Amino acid sequence: MWLPVLGLLIGLLLGFMSDIRVPPEYSNYLSIAVLAALDTLFGGIRAHLQGSFEDKVFITGFFFNILLAAGLAYLGVHLGIDLYLAAIFAFGVRLFNNIAVIRRLLISKWSDSRKKA
Amino acid sequence: MKDKPFMFATIALILGGMLAIQFETTNNPIIRDTRDLWELRADLEKEKQRQQELNEELQRYSELLNKYKTEGKDEKIEAMEKALTDLKKQAGLTSVSGQGIVMTIEPFNDGLIGVDRPQPKIDPDMLRRLVNELNRYDAKEISIDGQRIISKTPIREVNGNIYINNEPISTFPIEIRVLAKNHEKLHQKIIASPAVEEFIREDFLVESTPSHKVILPAYDKEIKVKFMKPAKEET
Repeated sequence: MWLPVLGLLIGLLLGFMSDIRVPPEYSNYLSIAVLAALDTLFGGIRAHLQGSFEDKVFITGFFFNILLAAGLAYLGVHLGIDLYLAAIFAFGVRLFNNIAVIRRLLISKWSDSRKKA
Repeated sequence: MKDKPFMFATIALILGGMLAIQFETTNNPIIRDTRDLWELRADLEKEKQRQQELNEELQRYSELLNKYKTEGKDEKIEAMEKALTDLKKQAGLTSVSGQGIVMTIEPFNDGLIGVDRPQPKIDPDMLRRLVNELNRYDAKEISIDGQRIISKTPIREVNGNIYINNEPISTFPIEIRVLAKNHEKLHQKIIASPAVEEFIREDFLVESTPSHKVILPAYDKEIKVKFMKPAKEET
């Protein structure tokens, strides 16, 4: 449980310390990629709690989603359609769904453990 | 299955890095310095001059402070009074005189105005621009139609009339008096300035005459200070 949190903290620290900044014209892509990554992470947690976790799906999902989201945004820029909205919508809805499922699973786990006690 | 926490940790690490970079990017975006060599030199020169000015100011104030500290009571009051008069002079509360220029603005009378052309009208923006330009050409003090321009002077249009210091300015010609260290130079510069050209375009005749003695009236209204409080004395 603590290892992913530690990883997140180290990642944040590295990111802040490295002082890397993306040119403003690419910051859109990065924000969509962050959303995709968040979605994958929460999807992974949900799958883990439901016992249906598969590492290949998780890893490929992470990179594929990021690339797909950034690719959609890129295509949208060149076609003049705000395609990144599709990615934001899809990931946003999934994010909420996943978090809701995680919450329910945690609550049921917690109440089960209380009943046993 | 043992690798699961590591996998999560790796993904979380990448996500953390991305989040941090995105944060950095949105909070302090990259601002490119596009100044060329000459602009850099000019900026450096400006900063140097500013440094010199600040140094001079610092020296002046430390001298004043020394004076307050070392001298007796009467002299202290005298020094304070002197400082007060200096400040009043700076704020424009005293009448001043010196060399400068006298400008007059009146409608250009070519016999056509009133026939098929309406009487030209002064826009407050034109006056503001003129004041800005005078200040840019090193004008020390300015008055327009007997109204001293201080740092808080409003120039507005109310019902078609121009109001300066909340007083309507009288009919043409409008007289602008300006004090300057180098009045000849100011005269040359202002005659060819874009602000004056703007007046000419609007059918006004603008004249400027350099003079060795120009008298400017004092600002005669009360200056409202809204956001300043007396400083607490250091203990």
